[in-house]
Amino acid sequence: MELPVLNEQPASKGGCSASSCGTTDDQLGHLSDDIRAKVENHPCYSEDAHHYFARMHVAVAPACNIQCHYCNRKYDCANESRPGVVSELLMPDQAVKKTMAVAANIPQMTVLGIAGPGDPLANPERTFETFRRLSEEAPDIKLCVSTNGLALPDAVEELSKHNIDHVTITINCLDPEVGAKIYPWIFWENKRIHGIEGARILIEQQQKGLEMLVAKGILVKVNSVMIPGVNDKHLAEVSKTVKAKGAFLHNVMPLIAEAEHGTFYGVMGQRGPSPEELMELQDACSGDMNMMRHCRQCRADAVGMLGEDRGDEFTLDKIEDMEIDYQAAMEKRKVIHEAIAEEMNSKRAAKAESANLHAQAEKLTTRPVLMAVATSGQGVINMHFGHAKEFLIYEASPEGVRFISHRKTDLYCSGDDSCGDGESVLQVTIRTLEGCEAVLCSKIGFEPWDMLEQAGIMPNGEHAMEPIEEAVMAVYKEMAAAGKLDEAKAEQRATA
Amino acid sequence: MALKIIDTCVNCFACEPLCPSKAIYKAEAYFLINPKKCTECEGDFEVPQCAAICPIEGAILDSLGVPINPPGSLTGIPPEKMAEAMAELQAH
Repeated sequence: MELPVLNEQPASKGGCSASSCGTTDDQLGHLSDDIRAKVENHPCYSEDAHHYFARMHVAVAPACNIQCHYCNRKYDCANESRPGVVSELLMPDQAVKKTMAVAANIPQMTVLGIAGPGDPLANPERTFETFRRLSEEAPDIKLCVSTNGLALPDAVEELSKHNIDHVTITINCLDPEVGAKIYPWIFWENKRIHGIEGARILIEQQQKGLEMLVAKGILVKVNSVMIPGVNDKHLAEVSKTVKAKGAFLHNVMPLIAEAEHGTFYGVMGQRGPSPEELMELQDACSGDMNMMRHCRQCRADAVGMLGEDRGDEFTLDKIEDMEIDYQAAMEKRKVIHEAIAEEMNSKRAAKAESANLHAQAEKLTTRPVLMAVATSGQGVINMHFGHAKEFLIYEASPEGVRFISHRKTDLYCSGDDSCGDGESVLQVTIRTLEGCEAVLCSKIGFEPWDMLEQAGIMPNGEHAMEPIEEAVMAVYKEMAAAGKLDEAKAEQRATA
Repeated sequence: MALKIIDTCVNCFACEPLCPSKAIYKAEAYFLINPKKCTECEGDFEVPQCAAICPIEGAILDSLGVPINPPGSLTGIPPEKMAEAMAELQAH
């Protein structure tokens, strides 16, 4: 049987014939060609691209005009990896220098975003100065911005003047009563406005800003934070509404809340969703909307491929000493980008081919299986189990292989034992892989091998350097052939 | 009559552009208010602008030295709950 690949549409959703899935190798498959062209080398918008291209954020926007219950404005921690956290604040000229230094040293970096640590549009001078200079001095870098939306309507005109074709708005609700449980206050027309009234104004501004951006032809992605018991039931409606207004992608992210973050939700014991709950909601929304599933919830000063952070290589004192010839760098970058595009195209063609063959092949009737993959990019299995800071989770089923999510092993913290509860790294990693039945990596040591087996997760190092989807399908077929995938077991698992 | 920013300021810049008297400036460690310039926004706004946007409880004091945004007023976290959570973390 041939190797099918389908990445976004859940098999159960219908309308997903194998032939169309074969060509829609990521969630952008059914976008128009011009939008697709704009996003296909953007790691945050294209699941396919995030294996190849890198992004960076510059932290030029410290001020904020609202308070969210998942954010603590005091937070500044080198070990934390989540939105709103930074180590070093930059002024626009420092940000421009850093961006060009990174672009010259990490040629796969195609996207520069401003995402905080506050709200970029609450810092219009620093944000727009950075964008203006980069449009002029580094025209081969895509610019994007993310915002809570409060100041968005007033900024649309200015945004449309720069080289910005993507804006992300965080929209957690449409109902002010839900909003009041997420946003304790906003700063609006020279006053702090608390509760439902503040939430109502914020929601109105977000929706107005979304409509204005779409009218200008600027692509809009919507981020939503899934907060169980607060907005989880509400987000399907949010998804439907923002799609109707023209957002092209919806990214539902799990709440990150730990007491040590000092956030309202963390201290008050509000839990985040389980990976299963998140997946269920994403699947529920995907009938109406293109869903994004590979978001890494980066820091506001992240540098590198999604899921990695090379910010330490580009601190202010280090970039100070770098001499950057950007003209030369741009030429080098162009060659590398073209080579990547070629590689991506040939992989796409191969996937389409195999999906076509799969459509004609006889289908298995086995149950779906989740597998974890250790990769450092390029769409292949190329990472040692022990080095993986995160795993990509794929679902294999008779319909093919689809990407589900990523899971971080370090629970957003890479500090030493002193800031954790002493659980071993390996135990944490294995807990992260709950629900998976196999883990594919380039190599794995004896100790983790045993522990994984005991946890019911089959380690597999036999597919090193192979394309992820092909390897996952190969392992799935081995499991099927070994009789491990009959439906009865699936039911047992579901009720366990 | 002047407000004061203390060392719990996190340097977020939010207050600085709002000040109608240009009394707020970035100093070595954190932002400061020039007491000779500060009018507490009287005649310009209903409420002092720096204190109305500052996200940090306790960081801005009124002319009597009392925090304008006391603990719990901005985050919604009851102070005893915060103390409890911090004690719990310390114990680890």
